[in-house]
Amino acid sequence: MTIALDSIREAASIRESAIVATDAWHARAVVFAAACVMIGVYWDISWHMTIGRDTFWTPAHLLIQAGGLIAGLSSGYVALRNTFVGTGAQREASVGFWGFRAPLGAWVCVWGCGAMVLSAPFDNWWHNAYGLDVQIISPPHMILALGIVAITVGALLLTLARQNQTTGTEQKQFATLFTIAAAFWIMNVWVMLSEYSYKEFMHSGLFYRVAATYYPLVLLTTARANTLRWPATKASAVYMGLTLALMWTLQAFPAEPKLGPIYQRITHMVTMDFPVLMVVPAFGLDVVRQRLHGRVRDLWLAPLLALTFVALFLAVEWPFASFLITTHSRNWFFNGANYVYFMTNQFAARTFSFADWEPWSRPLAPQLAFAALLATISSYVGLKWGSWMTKVRR
Amino acid sequence: MGKLDDESAAMIARVLRALTLALTFIALVPSLSDAHVGSPDVVFDGKAGTYDVRVIVRVPSVVPGLADVTVRVLRGDERRVLIRPVFWRAGVAGAPSADVATPVHGASKLYSGQLWLMARGAYSVYVTVEGAEGSGTVAVPVVSVATGRLGMSTGLGLLLAALGGLLLAGLITLVYAGAGESVVEPGTTIDPPTRRRARLMTIVAAPLLAMALLGGAKWWQSVDATYQTRMYHPLATRASIAREAGRPVLRFAVVDRNGRDLQLDPLVPDHGKLMHLFLIDSATLNGFAHLHPVYTGAFYSPLPPLAPGTYRLFGDITFETGLTNTLAGNLQLTREDSLLAASSTPGDPDDAWINASGAKRIDRIATVDTLADGSTMEWRSDSAKIRAGDETTLRFRVRDPSGTVARLEPYLGMNAHAVIVRDDGSVFVHLHPAGTVSLTAQRVFALRDRGDTTTRGRLKLGADTMQNAMPMAGEFSFPYIFPRSGSYRIWVQVRRDGRVVTGVFDVVV
Ligand SMILES: [Cu+2]
Repeated sequence: MTIALDSIREAASIRESAIVATDAWHARAVVFAAACVMIGVYWDISWHMTIGRDTFWTPAHLLIQAGGLIAGLSSGYVALRNTFVGTGAQREASVGFWGFRAPLGAWVCVWGCGAMVLSAPFDNWWHNAYGLDVQIISPPHMILALGIVAITVGALLLTLARQNQTTGTEQKQFATLFTIAAAFWIMNVWVMLSEYSYKEFMHSGLFYRVAATYYPLVLLTTARANTLRWPATKASAVYMGLTLALMWTLQAFPAEPKLGPIYQRITHMVTMDFPVLMVVPAFGLDVVRQRLHGRVRDLWLAPLLALTFVALFLAVEWPFASFLITTHSRNWFFNGANYVYFMTNQFAARTFSFADWEPWSRPLAPQLAFAALLATISSYVGLKWGSWMTKVRR
Repeated sequence: MGKLDDESAAMIARVLRALTLALTFIALVPSLSDAHVGSPDVVFDGKAGTYDVRVIVRVPSVVPGLADVTVRVLRGDERRVLIRPVFWRAGVAGAPSADVATPVHGASKLYSGQLWLMARGAYSVYVTVEGAEGSGTVAVPVVSVATGRLGMSTGLGLLLAALGGLLLAGLITLVYAGAGESVVEPGTTIDPPTRRRARLMTIVAAPLLAMALLGGAKWWQSVDATYQTRMYHPLATRASIAREAGRPVLRFAVVDRNGRDLQLDPLVPDHGKLMHLFLIDSATLNGFAHLHPVYTGAFYSPLPPLAPGTYRLFGDITFETGLTNTLAGNLQLTREDSLLAASSTPGDPDDAWINASGAKRIDRIATVDTLADGSTMEWRSDSAKIRAGDETTLRFRVRDPSGTVARLEPYLGMNAHAVIVRDDGSVFVHLHPAGTVSLTAQRVFALRDRGDTTTRGRLKLGADTMQNAMPMAGEFSFPYIFPRSGSYRIWVQVRRDGRVVTGVFDVVV
């Protein structure tokens, strides 16, 4: 009961604006663009895990590019319209950017589209210079990822503006879209952290340290600005649902590797791992945040949230990893045998035990303590960023 | 963040599970290497079933990278040509399905395609020709190593820098707008405290962003440095002369950074020999020897009677993976060694040497060299000028002293061997009528796919497997691609009347 009241009080603290100048179609379009990009990214990774060979023209690449263009072009259109033929209200609900006017979210999208465009020739050169790349985390990919994050943040800002400017069902609709955009952000972080998140690593402190550094920030930034109840839990559920749906769907499609050497027999699309069980720590964050809202300053709230996150994340991932590492996870549901074609049998055999080499062999306790510290910083930044988001008016 | 690595397997974008694990396995990979020196393109003339084909594989300088493959059907009625990359460890079972090579526009019986070489080490391009006479396949061994990395053109560099600068400026503007105008209620103007705060945030953010950018640049540098350490570097060697019972013996060893002898991974004989070692006088190019040392931790061979001077050494070896390598080195030959060598006996009956200047070739016109036994070797004219980077066919004819085309005996299982060296030693290649490929490497791939390997991976290749006692025609040719322009010397070796004779030719490409 108190929780519900608190959350209502928190939602009410988001001041309502008199002017509705953000375009609903634009906010929806950018959420759609972010969906295209994130689904495209997942599909592209699955494509590389399975088929290997790619060109610019794979459907996954086109989906990513389409998402970038939808976000960039719609935002560019809004900027040109607001600047040259915009109504007074539209111009007033905009911020200036090098002489042009558009809502902040539109500018973030334009920037994200620009980063994605820049990453393309850079990535192409990178492949030619150093060989077709073998990693998610490379300089050109980081620029691409920043562009994608920007489009997701743009979607958050635009849906947030609309949420804050409307009431009733429309407010609810945009709060839902905001939650979905938040889920894309969680998914983006999960993809970027996947190299640290294989099941063999889940009994290592480093896995928890890395997770504690990035997830609280995303969860708390989006939770604080959302008017829905249980925002972090809901966003996490959407993230898990989406990644599970993609995992189960793609696996059904026949495919074979087009690159060699091939060490694993593959007949269907290989996909990313089972998602992390984010709903549990997210629920914990929601409970703590909603209970303590208004009673505790952010400086004290952050460590409480951090401890909650690390404790709950550890509580669910540790036993879940114990299960994933067994043969019982090697089925379509848990996707524990998602071996890529270039994985030799020696490597495949190693997925049945937890990693015991550097940096995964470091003692657990100090890593967890470090994780709590990093989570505190992450939480604090998230809370502050979320507060700022609620203040965005244009 | 993490910089991860590949190796064994191939790969692409992600799934670093395998790659992270691979890190621990890299140490087990045999020393990766390059076949020949400065002449990376692979040219093969041979048979795919009943079809005569010429296969050219232009290997990429980066791994993973794209190899350009062209297949010319020289004889036979083909319907289509298929190409497929086979990695030594995975075999045909672990190779992706074959690609149909596309007919080259405007050329008949010529097909081309691109294949990804994903891993470092020994590959074979399997070429299958299908047509009226059924289907035939031949394996063309290729060595996949990273030999270079691409620089950035000024244009692209400027474009990226400009776009990057624009993005950075945009990001700073976003911070300014986000901290300032965006939090102001629509319809009201920005108040001085908010504006001040926005400026402050921008001033704080700008150096942070610049630092992030610097961090990115540093990361790029470290990736680049890591890549360079994993590029192919020739194995270090040491050549020296020892005395055994008063006779000079050449000792040739692979050494580590500290100059200590290094043991090589298991080798397989090529044409029955573990090493084909060539000594070439680096100043005059006149002294030339083709030796077959024995291997007992290092390569040993009695020194042949060459003139004193500085010699370049090129030793061709083949590992049991099918990987070929040329060990390069230098040797100083003193007058005393040279004199003592005159009385030594050859270590191997197939050893041969010559101290002679070359016959100059003028383009399009046949050049004739008189051989040690009085026979002549003619470099026959071909229709076009030889150009660097283009495929050529070097055609030769040997006539006995009476002027009729000679019958040849097999020398190391073939009717002829050729060695081509650029005058500065930067290009070395050992050619056969079948081209640049190692026939043993080809056999290794064929044997492996028949399952003739044990768990240790040892292949049973007899020393006599390549021998052929049939007399051979006195006319033969070598397909080749000169990698770049310059002055080259060509030694062509044949056996006649039990004696190995060597023709010497010069050409400017
Ligand atoms: Cu030979």
